[in-house]
Amino acid sequence: MRKRTLKRGLTAFWWFTLAFLYLPLAVVVLFSFNASNSAASFTGISLRWYTRLMGNEEILSAFANSMILAISSSMIALGIGCLIGYGMYRHRQRKLGWLIVLIYLPIVLPDIVFGISEMAFFVQVHRLTGLLQPGLITMIIAHVTFQIPFVALIVYSRFVGLDPTLFEAAKDLYASPTKRVIHFMLPTIKPALISAFFLSFTLSVDDFVISFFTAGPESATLPIYIWGAIKKGVSPEINAIAALMIGAVAVAAVISLMFSRRRPA
Amino acid sequence: MAYTGVTPSARSRGMVREARHLLFTVAPGASWIVIFLVLPAAYLMGVAFMTNGPYGLPQMPLSLESFRRLAGFGFLGWSPGNLYTLLRSLWQTLVSTGLVVLVAYPIAYYISTCRETWRPIMLLLVVVPSWTNQVIRTFGWMNLLAPGTPLSELAESLGLIAPNMGLYPSNFAVTLGLVYNFLPFMVLPLYAAFEKLDIAQVEAAQDLFASPVRAFWHAVFPQTLPGLLAGIVLVAIPAFGMYVIPELLGGGKGMMLGNLVANQFAGGANWPLGAAGAILMLIATFIGLFVMRRIGKRLGGGEEVVI
Amino acid sequence: MNDSLTLDTAEASRNENVETAREASSIELHGLHKRFGRHTVALNGVDLTIEAGEFFTLLGPSGCGKTTLLRILAGLEEADDGRLAIGGKDITEVPPHKRSVNTVFQSYALFPHLSVRENLAFGLKMRGLPPVEREARVAKIAEFIKLGDLVARRIDQLSGGQRQRIALARALVNEPDVLLLDEPLSALDAGLRSQLQVELLRVQKRLGMTFVFVTHDQQEAMVMSDRIAVLNGGVIQQVGPPREVYEHPVNAFVARFMGHDNLYPITARQGNRLTTPLGELVADQAGEGDLLLIRPETLDLLPGEVAGDNHLLAVVNERLYRGSHAEYRLEVGAGTLQATLNNRGRHLPEVGDRVTVTVAPDDLVTLSE
Repeated sequence: MRKRTLKRGLTAFWWFTLAFLYLPLAVVVLFSFNASNSAASFTGISLRWYTRLMGNEEILSAFANSMILAISSSMIALGIGCLIGYGMYRHRQRKLGWLIVLIYLPIVLPDIVFGISEMAFFVQVHRLTGLLQPGLITMIIAHVTFQIPFVALIVYSRFVGLDPTLFEAAKDLYASPTKRVIHFMLPTIKPALISAFFLSFTLSVDDFVISFFTAGPESATLPIYIWGAIKKGVSPEINAIAALMIGAVAVAAVISLMFSRRRPA
Repeated sequence: MAYTGVTPSARSRGMVREARHLLFTVAPGASWIVIFLVLPAAYLMGVAFMTNGPYGLPQMPLSLESFRRLAGFGFLGWSPGNLYTLLRSLWQTLVSTGLVVLVAYPIAYYISTCRETWRPIMLLLVVVPSWTNQVIRTFGWMNLLAPGTPLSELAESLGLIAPNMGLYPSNFAVTLGLVYNFLPFMVLPLYAAFEKLDIAQVEAAQDLFASPVRAFWHAVFPQTLPGLLAGIVLVAIPAFGMYVIPELLGGGKGMMLGNLVANQFAGGANWPLGAAGAILMLIATFIGLFVMRRIGKRLGGGEEVVI
Repeated sequence: MNDSLTLDTAEASRNENVETAREASSIELHGLHKRFGRHTVALNGVDLTIEAGEFFTLLGPSGCGKTTLLRILAGLEEADDGRLAIGGKDITEVPPHKRSVNTVFQSYALFPHLSVRENLAFGLKMRGLPPVEREARVAKIAEFIKLGDLVARRIDQLSGGQRQRIALARALVNEPDVLLLDEPLSALDAGLRSQLQVELLRVQKRLGMTFVFVTHDQQEAMVMSDRIAVLNGGVIQQVGPPREVYEHPVNAFVARFMGHDNLYPITARQGNRLTTPLGELVADQAGEGDLLLIRPETLDLLPGEVAGDNHLLAVVNERLYRGSHAEYRLEVGAGTLQATLNNRGRHLPEVGDRVTVTVAPDDLVTLSE
């Protein structure tokens, strides 16, 4: 009897927590369809904020910046992180403690410390050499820095899961070092590379703090644009662009769910 | 047959080749992190010991001035502003971490009691909101807590806030935002602990102890402790350095250490002071990691938590 | 040679020496040394010649260096010292992917991202054979090894025995000078194992290729090999045909490893008369050495007490009836003796019976520790 009451209480608490988790997102999506300007009252359904979005050059360029930043940083991080992941695997017998510390450093450092370190560094390098003016380039550098560890760890764990004799079989079957990379290693770790790329991409699009401190005046990304708009005073357009980003995440969630189900145990 | 020695060539050639391979694979990434993170962070630490110059830029000579400023000593004598900010950061971290535990613990337990096919979906439901951008999530709370919204009006009618004030900006809004932001970080490690729970121990405890509370305390709680502690570190460290949530939901009187630090850089006010604050955060981070490692070793359940 | 796996394209595809392409290759090893780390000695001066077309087995307990030797042949491990030649050509410093040597790995090491067909064609593709020829040779080998209907499958859809066959075919399709097999049957259950032993032997005889086979199972080694090398502690103990190694082991290690338990110290000798804990025995060729080996199957049991040379009184302690034969444990003098009697319509003494054990003088072997 008591057990059933407990279970019922927990179920109620679960739904309450879910509501808590989704309420802020739901409000954003709801008000993105609001016909009126007011943030406090919902007067009717309209798509006017979405159509306005399309005409807003600043938003479009922020979107483009976000994409350029996410794609290029993910590509660079994929290359560098993949090499490190393989190196960690191949030399796992050695004492690589210093490398592990280095790899985890970007993950454990608080965002704000990460961001201002980069900013202070870039500003000084720019003052001294004229290179690395704050902008997309500095943002890409910063993003690659926090993406590398994730790529390296994903690739490393994929290699660890392989039968080590596969590497020897490839050698034994006449594959030169280059051909081993092209015909054996890359195809074998392809799933890991794909998921590492998507994770890097998501991390980049999601990041605000580090982008904020490394960005230049021309290189605002979507989160930076939204931040600026909120600080200036809420415009209902923000709801629309935010709702679109929430939608993108929802699609990603569904895809990841489908993938996790298809994968055998 | 006596084996006298090895021709050095074959062995050393192999070792040189391996070393070159290690260098080739690891050097690009390692040097990237060293150049673009270790060096900048080292520079930042150095800045903390320099003097504030024009435009907030650091200059020589070295001094402890910025740490004095951080403690509240300025041109106009001592003022408590910075100290309040520090204490507020600590307080907010403590309260929000505590609240996150209170919410996450039953949720993680509940998920672990549900049917196995549902569990991944339930976990996903908990995690998905944290995939959206932090700024957008916080913006959602601004919409919910602004003056004139149903929640604010409810609070008003209960006499909790002054009329027409709204629930935000306030310290309460910051706490709420922190709890919202970090809930998944606590649910995941706790769920992992519950999933591994030894049911036999729980049943034995139910036989041994008369009350379910004591059974829980002696059989269930100790087994979930590693997950709980991992969660606390995962929540408390980033909460202590939080910037976005207090900036948007806190207003002037809700500032935390992250804002203090950021303002010294964003406005070009005082880099050394900001750097000193960053050092404080770094110290907190390393204490947290150290505690987690120690506990992980002692409990033997060295949870590798990956978010 | 009619049966052998020859195709028109085979000649053109050979790495080098086109004229010797279809001849099997011999292997010569000189003074091979290999250490791991500072202290672990894997090979301590190995000299060995393996004849062309031989089924040669490296036999020994785990850690004896047999797998290291195989890996050095494949090029997967570099010897610290010594030379290695295949078909008369020194290949000590040739990297593995340039050696005309292929390996069947213990774990099979089939590529999980490729289908069976792609696995089979991998080596040919890496050597740059045009797709048409690859297809032809893969089809031929698939037929040869009887796995025609499996080639379209994925690796994870195969049973252990099928994987083993694919691994063999993937190596054979390259027509290497030498095929190396690293305990390829150890993961299979007993029935499948003996079936594949026969199959493997047939394949080797039909192709006439040089096979180097590694195992720790002396039964398997004896069934399959033309010659066996027994290794221990990185040193070759004995090389010879199975019968020689089994019937005339050169030392106690080889004898025990070949499954012999009836080893007795010789406490005194007078010409051919040897004193052992069992009693006095006469051996035809009493060579050097202070140990006497009595193989169980050379013994005969006579009912009752019969006097004579090499006649020892015994009591039956234990009898294991196995149908085709029976195994006995006897108490003889101050020791115990094992005997195997074939069941050819004869009297099989019971436990507790007093019997006389006899052995022919030319069946006794002396050896040193």
